[in-house]
Amino acid sequence: MSMTRTVRFFIAQLARALPVVAALAAMLAGGPARAQEYVKVENVPREQLPAPQFVGAAYGFIMIALLVYVIVVARRLARTRGDIAELRTRVERLAGPGDRR
Amino acid sequence: MSTVGRGFAIAVIAAIAGFLVVPLLIVSAPVEPVMGVVQKIFYFHVPCAIMMFLSTFVAAAGSLSYLFKGAERGDRLAHAAGELGVLFGACVLVTGPLWGRKAWGVWWQWDARLTSSLLLFLILNGYLLARRYGGPAGKKLAAALSLFAAVDVPLVYKSVDIWRTVHPQTTVVPSLDPAMRPAFWASFALITLVWGILLTLRLRLEDARATVEELQLMVDDLAQDS
Repeated sequence: MSMTRTVRFFIAQLARALPVVAALAAMLAGGPARAQEYVKVENVPREQLPAPQFVGAAYGFIMIALLVYVIVVARRLARTRGDIAELRTRVERLAGPGDRR
Repeated sequence: MSTVGRGFAIAVIAAIAGFLVVPLLIVSAPVEPVMGVVQKIFYFHVPCAIMMFLSTFVAAAGSLSYLFKGAERGDRLAHAAGELGVLFGACVLVTGPLWGRKAWGVWWQWDARLTSSLLLFLILNGYLLARRYGGPAGKKLAAALSLFAAVDVPLVYKSVDIWRTVHPQTTVVPSLDPAMRPAFWASFALITLVWGILLTLRLRLEDARATVEELQLMVDDLAQDS
């Protein structure tokens, strides 16, 4: 008996909560149901994108990319040449004055 | 200054002059009636794409000589060219979507040309990653990857003719309006010159690194002897 009462109570609570759950689900799904047909709208403003900004961004990117690359390679080259000079000095010191490798 | 050094200096001066002159030619070139001003991205976008292709072919040629003849110089050339392929690929993949956003209304389309270009860029990146992190076999693995990249180049080029795509076809450059040609060819010459300068500079770095390795071995030998 007690079991039946518990089940009935549970079903009643579930029925009471159902509209709230449905409303929440609708909210999460994006509010009211979407239109199922397309309607013609007059005088909608066309999206205007400023072309010179796109052209400027494209050229700007290329210039910056090339410049950064040149700087990076030049720095790496300078560092490597520094390493060569240091290693040559070490070779000369280790080999002695008579040994020309 | 040596003859090579003098030639390099002249090339650098010519490139700097080019960066001052070419934008003026592009500005004075006629505006394309359908796309408008944004079409002017074409003058750098296409030469950068061609340099990406050229870099890929040079990397593949260097890799072939390394794989089949064991030429270290070929491997160094391939490394330098592979890096330039990534650089110019990045320029293509940034300028293209900027153009597309205005012309097509979207930044990106998964069509044949764009997808195969992205694939080429990723393979070239894979080449550099394999070299860096591939361990002892990394150089050979990378060399094989660069051959795959070279196979992708004709696919990228012909993709617009084979498949239906939003990208302009390969007939655009040959059929270019005569008034637009000076700007395009000047831009192409400038980008090619810059590519040559960068390749020379990058190759010098690779040669210098090889010298460091040789000297390091020499120092190790001498230290063991003494």
